[in-house]
Amino acid sequence: MSARIRFENVSKKYLLGQTRTSLPSVVSEWLARTIRNRSGPPPEDRVLWSLRDVSFDLDEGQSLALLGPNGAGKTTILKLLANITKPTSGRIETAGQLSALIELGAGFHPDLTGRENIFLNGTILGLSRKYIADRFDEIVDFSELERFIDTPVKRYSSGMIVRLGFAVASCIEPEILLVDEVLAVGDATFRQKCMQRIRSLMKGGTSIIFVSHNLYLVQAVCDRGLYLHKGQLQFLGTVDEAISVYEQRLHQERAEKFEIGDAEAAGSLDYDVEISRVEVLDGGGRPAEVLRSDEPARIQIHYHAFKSIGKAHASVFIMRSDGLTCCMMRTKISGVALHIERGSGMITVDLEPLQLISGTYYAEAHFLNETDSMELDAKSGRSDWFSVQGRFLSYEESSGVYEPLVSWEQRSLDNPHNHHAWAIDGIGSTIDAPGGSSGKKEKK
Amino acid sequence: MMVYARSLYGARDLLWSWTRRTIQGRYQQSALGWLWAVIQPAATVFIFSIIFTMVVPIDTGEIPYVVFSFAAVTPWTFLATSLTDMSTSLVQNMTLVTKIYFPREALPIAAMLARLMDFGIAAVLLLILVIWYQLPVLQPALLFLPLIILIQIILIIGIGLTAAALNVFFRDVQPLMTLGIQLWFYASPIIYPVTLVPEWLRPYYYLNPMAGIIQAYRNVLLFGAAPESHLLLSAGLSVGILAFGYWLFKRLEFQFADIV
Repeated sequence: MSARIRFENVSKKYLLGQTRTSLPSVVSEWLARTIRNRSGPPPEDRVLWSLRDVSFDLDEGQSLALLGPNGAGKTTILKLLANITKPTSGRIETAGQLSALIELGAGFHPDLTGRENIFLNGTILGLSRKYIADRFDEIVDFSELERFIDTPVKRYSSGMIVRLGFAVASCIEPEILLVDEVLAVGDATFRQKCMQRIRSLMKGGTSIIFVSHNLYLVQAVCDRGLYLHKGQLQFLGTVDEAISVYEQRLHQERAEKFEIGDAEAAGSLDYDVEISRVEVLDGGGRPAEVLRSDEPARIQIHYHAFKSIGKAHASVFIMRSDGLTCCMMRTKISGVALHIERGSGMITVDLEPLQLISGTYYAEAHFLNETDSMELDAKSGRSDWFSVQGRFLSYEESSGVYEPLVSWEQRSLDNPHNHHAWAIDGIGSTIDAPGGSSGKKEKK
Repeated sequence: MMVYARSLYGARDLLWSWTRRTIQGRYQQSALGWLWAVIQPAATVFIFSIIFTMVVPIDTGEIPYVVFSFAAVTPWTFLATSLTDMSTSLVQNMTLVTKIYFPREALPIAAMLARLMDFGIAAVLLLILVIWYQLPVLQPALLFLPLIILIQIILIIGIGLTAAALNVFFRDVQPLMTLGIQLWFYASPIIYPVTLVPEWLRPYYYLNPMAGIIQAYRNVLLFGAAPESHLLLSAGLSVGILAFGYWLFKRLEFQFADIV
């Protein structure tokens, strides 16, 4: 099988501060440079290597996730592949038609109708008018915008624009598809549909390069992962390995940051209170990276107060890796009053049980004032990523956000003796309800 | 050059829809709509006619001044508006340029095509004037018209591509273009006939490709005569400018996305 994409020792250099917008500034800059060091290379601090010596291959039907913090070079790889910019050195080979789901709707004109914009956007993407006309109904169907197709796009919501953009961009069956964070907008149902479309393209042999901060989607879509840091390739392997390497690095960096924070704490009085650490513990009270949905969990907030605050409130959020706020716990609502004295302390919240569905999460803590109305002059804190194992193994978004504790009951209205009840006290196990004639899960 | 032509041919559907977008976008919110294509040259010619027949009379022979200047103002407006639009065509669509690949020259060229439509509308008014003043309408010399328009388009694309590409790097290009067009206007035989230009100056005068082009328009439209040989010089200069403009544009094309 020949490679669809081949990146060979690709580097891309940017010169910073090169936003030349007026002639006088160019002349003065040029003068300054000639006087300082006659036509020498630009000073090192102004050179940014957005990519340095990156090599990888991608075969037919494979999908590669690009992981890394902002500025790691993910977008540069996409731009190079899309032929928007050229590498400073190295070779890039791509085989077959390429399509990009990047900045959906960028080519839309607000004054034109949806119908006109389908043609406009399609031709920007390199399709012929005839090709678009042949697939017009399909595109409109997919976007679910039949009723609005003759309305100017300026009246569309951002979600509608993304829907139309995705429908146009994905009506091709390209050999290579670039997907950049486009599914961040739009409702969950449509996102699901987009994912299905992407998966069906993959089955058809399309190779995909995928960029998203949503580790769910990454795991769901990709089989390989490439982790970049400051333009350099750190890891290339299976997507699960790459994600775990990436998370480890995030973890490490945060730990380093907090250490520095502690060292500087004595001198820095930028905040009245500083949350130095947020920890997530398992049922046994041990710090854990993997928690079970049906077991208790504890969030511990370590803080340092540089002065006495007195009465205060705290709020703790649990966020999912796609940015969804899963829950909010507030001392005010629980009827708890904190009292913060100068010095170090710890606040604990217990969740019994955790009840979140499978996924990747982090916890975030803030301090608020006495009336719970304003944030204190405090440094808020974030925990590391932790993952939760629940009954659902998949990351389907249709699974919802949490797994409640439930009990089920079934009764026949004709035959009062036919009555089943189940209460779940843990994953998979059932107990007989009093008076129940059967404890089996299946119907008789 | 053939490669460029082929890539442009491949983007013909894009050219078409972008031109439509530009035209529709321009007139969507305006009450007079396409009438502006006529109002602009008509107002100019109206003022000129008052000044150059009553205040500072200019001798235009048997041709009424109104038709005389309208025959030049129409193609000139096409050039001036095209160049203004083309020079900003990339800068105004940077989000697109930095996100999606497509033949970039489609944007400036579509800006020109959108103005070509205005040119066509204004030409109808010119035709009405020609008939009104009972000048001969259908003459064999009209067959030269497509050639003259083609030469003018070549010239416009050449300058427009250069301006559009440079404007990404230096925003000075925009005011420079406005200033240049203003000066160029007086260096072209629009408000006056070429016959008023001193004999010794003419060889240099025709180095301005628009001089030959406008002269040719007048010959064909008003006198029913074939264009003079100066048009050949204009054609040569225009092709040279186009070759340079296209070359420069293609050279800078891949740096557009790096500068923002």
